[in-house]
Order: sequence, then structure tokens, then C-alpha cells
Amino acid sequence: MENIQFVRGSCERFCPDGEAKMRIQKKLLNYFEYKDGQKHVPGVLVKEFTRSAADAKVPKAKDMRTELCLTRTVEYLLKDIFMDERKPYHFVYDFIFDRLRSVRREIVIQQYNPRQTICLIEPMIMFMAYSRYRLCEDPIDKFDPKICNQHLQECLNVVLCCYDELDEEAQSMNEKKPTIREAERRYFIEALYQIFNLGTPEALVRGLMLPIQVRENEIFKLAFSICLNYHQGNLYRVIKGLPKLPHIICAVAGAKLQTIRRRLLEIFTHAYNSKQLTVPTAYLLHLTLLEPKSLTEQCRHYNIAQTPDRKAVHFIKTEFKIDAETIKAHRETFIDQKLSRIYLPEVLLLKKLWI
Amino acid sequence: MFGSANNYLSGVLRAAEDYDGENLGTFLSLRDVHVQNHNLYISQPEKLVERMLKPPLDEVVGSHLKVLYYLSQEPPNYMEAYNHQAASCSAVVKLLQQMKDENWCLPVMYRVCLDLRYLAQACEKHCRGFTPGHILEKAADCMMACFRVCAADGRASEEDTKRLGMMNLVNQLFKIYFRINKLHLCKPLIRAIDNCSFKDSFPLPEQITYKYFVGRRAMFDSNYRMAVEDLSYAFTHCPDRFKSNKRLILIYLVPVKMLLGYLPRKSMLERYDLLLFHDLALALKAGNVKKFDEIVHEHELVLIRSGIYLLVEKLKFIVYRNLFKKVFAIRKTHQLDMGDFLSALQFVGVTDVSLDETHCIIANLIYEGKIKGYISHAHNKLVVSKQNPFPSLIST
Repeated sequence: MENIQFVRGSCERFCPDGEAKMRIQKKLLNYFEYKDGQKHVPGVLVKEFTRSAADAKVPKAKDMRTELCLTRTVEYLLKDIFMDERKPYHFVYDFIFDRLRSVRREIVIQQYNPRQTICLIEPMIMFMAYSRYRLCEDPIDKFDPKICNQHLQECLNVVLCCYDELDEEAQSMNEKKPTIREAERRYFIEALYQIFNLGTPEALVRGLMLPIQVRENEIFKLAFSICLNYHQGNLYRVIKGLPKLPHIICAVAGAKLQTIRRRLLEIFTHAYNSKQLTVPTAYLLHLTLLEPKSLTEQCRHYNIAQTPDRKAVHFIKTEFKIDAETIKAHRETFIDQKLSRIYLPEVLLLKKLWI
Repeated sequence: MFGSANNYLSGVLRAAEDYDGENLGTFLSLRDVHVQNHNLYISQPEKLVERMLKPPLDEVVGSHLKVLYYLSQEPPNYMEAYNHQAASCSAVVKLLQQMKDENWCLPVMYRVCLDLRYLAQACEKHCRGFTPGHILEKAADCMMACFRVCAADGRASEEDTKRLGMMNLVNQLFKIYFRINKLHLCKPLIRAIDNCSFKDSFPLPEQITYKYFVGRRAMFDSNYRMAVEDLSYAFTHCPDRFKSNKRLILIYLVPVKMLLGYLPRKSMLERYDLLLFHDLALALKAGNVKKFDEIVHEHELVLIRSGIYLLVEKLKFIVYRNLFKKVFAIRKTHQLDMGDFLSALQFVGVTDVSLDETHCIIANLIYEGKIKGYISHAHNKLVVSKQNPFPSLIST
């Protein structure tokens, strides 16, 4: 198994010459691949994603990039293109997503070892996690959260497998331990995985089995305790824990907030069920992390009556609209604030975590 | 006592001609004494085997001899042994396909698949260079090939159908899927067994194993009533002489039953060396949240390793319920101050709890039907039902 040699890339450019020539000729360049401000002059091209197909030839070394070049590609995409504000973000996202996918494909074809794979995939996870939140309010024709989730999960599974493999190597061969930097990146990603998979037993089981260093890391501990509380049904602690999560992980949690709120409101319609009595709005705002305007929206959506002055809410269990769909994820002020305080390219590339 | 390779092969031939699956299975088992016979360690047995046996049996046996050869090396070459065992398994698939309306060779399949799993486990333990769980997953694929042949054999009569081999394979696959934490793969297997018209005619030992795993899966899906049903079946039908198996079943059965409101008897826990659950049950009964947390924390590793940590954590809300029931018993009124519940929590030693959290915990208990009543936020009171405010857990 170990002695099979895989193709190693030799291309040092973001886009192999063959593809560049073809795409320039056929005018198949993306907006970001034209030279700044000029319409027909090609600028920096990045290799496109193509599916492996039965009729396609096995890629040659010159059609694939070296490890260093792949790293530079990821950096170029997540810094230069990511910060480019000439186009709306969903457009930027589509471009980066596609080009990162072709990087992922090369990782598979070239059969990189766990260390190499981790370095390249971790930033992709961060990018998708961030974009998932940033684009959550966009309509489906601009951004499909489901596809994004799928790829995010796939990438997470890949790096988690790599971590496990390195753990095993470290145990059996006394190989070199991960550096502090590598370890910290891992803790962050493991925590992100937990929150992304909030409520699934598989993730919890993984969390319980992780090496002690991971389980004792502060960020991981916080994320895992949120998941455990969710599992137990203690939504209060879930809601109180969420805002303490760091930026990108908090953004991932943002996608789960609507479900949590819905459950909380449904529980309350049973617990505070009364025709006469009301529950003060202030108390609910505090427990749902909502702003007054959004609370009104939620109440209307799930058919919960508010008093005319909107200072209190009537909970009646028979009136709660059980068959209503959960409200779509929104940008949240407290998350936006967290994100505004960091320099995103650095965080996405995990150069510095800003924690 | 060990004969030549030819003696071995004629034994195999005789078993095959007699349609003696059990015996043939023994000839292919890695647990049988013949594996110590040095005459059988042959790196290229093809010629020899082909002379005696017809295809595809020759391939099954040839691969088996290669497995013996690689295992006899110093140190044993598990990876190669596994590869040849997988080849043997594929040959068994051909063997099965060839046989219409007969199923005498099912024991051969059981044996080869079982050894395949053992070898895959050995590879996972001793070999490197692949992602953990990968070899086991491959082994599961090989077994699935066998499973498909068995499941598709719908036309033979009930005694002769290869479908009788399904449950044995399903149990093997369960063992793999549980080990690699891929429980979702169990679902189609369960459906296949459920759709079997003769699912009660599988051998009892297999049914017990099957129910044990199906029960555990139901437990992970939070389907506790199903879990209790299946695990209880496994426990009561498992003969007393298999004490460690019964203990294994109890490890899951006891906490699931606790969740449904049944507390275990101390004498039984003692018999199976599971007194940890007795301590948990005492804390649960007393509503001592803090004590409960401490026990869970103290036995964390044991609970995690046996896969019930998450389940035990779910008992926490029952501990809350029992504590709050005591508040009701002391106050003897139907309008209970929320502050009293908070004091109760603080009294048993929970320090980091607020009034808001107390509200949320009680709200959840009401929602789950564990308390009958409603909360008045304005008066900060829980108003409980005059009839049966804390319904017994067994009925909720």
C-alpha cells in the first residue's frame, strides 16, 4: 500500500499553462481573472474545478501544482480575492469556492499525507464556515446553504480523519508531536465541528473520545459543554454559552440559533400556558438573544400573541403553529460585532486566531 | 497428529462431498488446530489445490492456505493475510451464487466472514498507512457482498434458503459499524431483517445478539421504549451461564430503564458487578443533582468507554424532577414559589444556577409532561395540577 507512487505536481503557477491557454482562447475567464479594470486583458488565472470523468486523461505532473503552489493559491484566494470588494460577496464566494474545490481535488489525486492535507483544508473549512453565515440571508439562487453545508461537512471529515491518523502515529512511533500552533488550529477546528454538528450523537461520541489535550482546551471545552447541554435539553445554558464562542465558531452557531429559539418558544408556550397571564418581553429577549423587532417577527411567525404595547407575550399552547417552518437564519448583531473586530484573511488562513 | 497438505485437502473434499458445512467451516477456521500444522504454510498453493478441488472451492481453500502462510511469518504479516482472507471471502460469494436451492455452506460463510473481521481488527491494531477504520470498512464491504447474495435468495423453500444466513452477517456488520461509529449504516440491514417473513426462525443466539445491537441503536436514536424492549429480550433470553454477556446487556438496559422510571434492584446489580448504577440510582431518587454530577464525573471514563455517558447525562432532568417533587412534598401547596426551587438546587450544592435557569428547567419538565402545571411569571410561582402533579415516569 505504501510503496505505490502517486503523481506529484510540478506546476508552479496557479493555473497550468495548458488550461490557461485554452481558457484565454475560448474566453472562459472569470471576472477576477481579468487584469484590474481592463476588459479583455487576462490577469491572474486560477485552475478551475473539473470533475474526473471516464474520458478525461489521467492528469500529468505539469497539469498539477506543487504543494507550495497550492498553499500560495489558497492564500491568494483567501486574501487578495476575498478582500476584493468590486463584486457582491456571493460572487466572490462562488469563485473562491470553485477554485478551492480544484485544490481539494489535487490533494486527493496527489495523495497528500495527513500533515499536508490538514494545512490546505483547514482554511477551506474556515472560509466555508464564515461564508455560510455571511450569506445566510441571500436568496437561494445566489447562495445554496445546503451545498455549502455538505462541502463543509466533507472537509471537516477529511481533516478529522487526518488528526486521528496523526494521533495514532504519535502513539505508535513516537513521532514528532504537533507544534503549539498546529495544536491550537486543531482545537479550533474540533470545536467548530462540534458546534456545526450540534445535536448529533456522532459528534458527541467523538468529543468524548478525543485525546485529553483537546478535551482540556478552553475553546473546545466551551463548545463541547454547549453541545452536552443541548443534548440534555438545557437550552438556557446553550443560549448563555453561545455568545462566548470565538468569532467564526460563533458564526457557525448563528446558523443553529433559529432552531434553538423555536424550541425555546415552543417549550414556553407549554410552560407559561395561560389565557390571562403574560410573560414580559424583556425576559424573553434576554433568553432568546433577540432584538425587540425580531421577537415580534418570531411571535407572528409561530402565532404567539403579544400585548398591544409589545411589553409582554401571551403564551397559549394550543395556538403555537407547530407546522410552521423554522425561520431562516439571520445575521445577528452580536456575531457581526465579533467578526468586525478581527482581520478576516488572517483568521481564515489560521495564521493568527485573534482569540 | 498433523498430516500432510494432501491429507488436509482430502478432508476438505470429503466435507464438501458430504455437504457438511460445519465441518468444512472448521477446515477454514483460523481458530481450528490445523492452523498450527506447518505442512500447510504454503506461499503458492494454487497447483496443489486445483488438483483436488473444483472451483470456486479451490480458490476459497487456496486463499485460506495463503492466509496461514502470512500469519506464520515472524512477525505475522497481517495486511497480506487480510488481503487473502478478503479474496477467500469473494470466492465464498461465488460458491454461494453457484448453489441454487441449497444452503448447507452457510457455516463456511460465517466462519470466513468472522475471521475476516478478526484480521481486519488485527490490521487496524498493528499496521499503519491508512485512516483508522478503513480496513474494517473494507471488510464490511466484503461481507455486504455475501449479504446481497443471501438476501436475494427469495425463491428457495424456507429450509433451504440462504436468507437464513442474513442475521449472522447482519450481526457481524453491526459489530463493525458500532466499532467505527457509523451507526447510520445499520438502518438498511435492520429493514432487511424486519421484512423477512420468517424472522423468528433464526437461531436464538443470533437473535439475542441482533436484539442487543438493535436495542443499542434505538438507544442512540433516543427511541427508549424500543431500546428497552429489545434489550430486555436479549437479557431474558441470554442463558445464565453467559454472565459477561448478560452484564454487557445490562450496562445499556439499566440506564435506559432508569430513564423510563424503573430503578434497578441492588441485588441484581451486585450479581453483575454493576454497583455504580446503584449509587447513581440513589442520587437520582434523592434528587441530589450535585451528587449525581459527582458520580458521573468520577466514573466518566468507564461510562464513556461503555458508550453510555450520553445516556446517563440525559438522566439529569429526572434528577431535577425528583428534587422538585420533594419541594412540593414539603410545601404541600399547589402554588409553589419559584425561589423555593432555586433554594433546593442551591441546598444540594449547585452553586452556578440562577432564577432564570430554574425557570427554564421547570419549563422543560412541563413541556415533557414530567410536571403538570404552569408557571406564572408575574407571581414567580409554579402552579401545579391538583391531580397527580408529578406523574410517574413510567406513564409519561
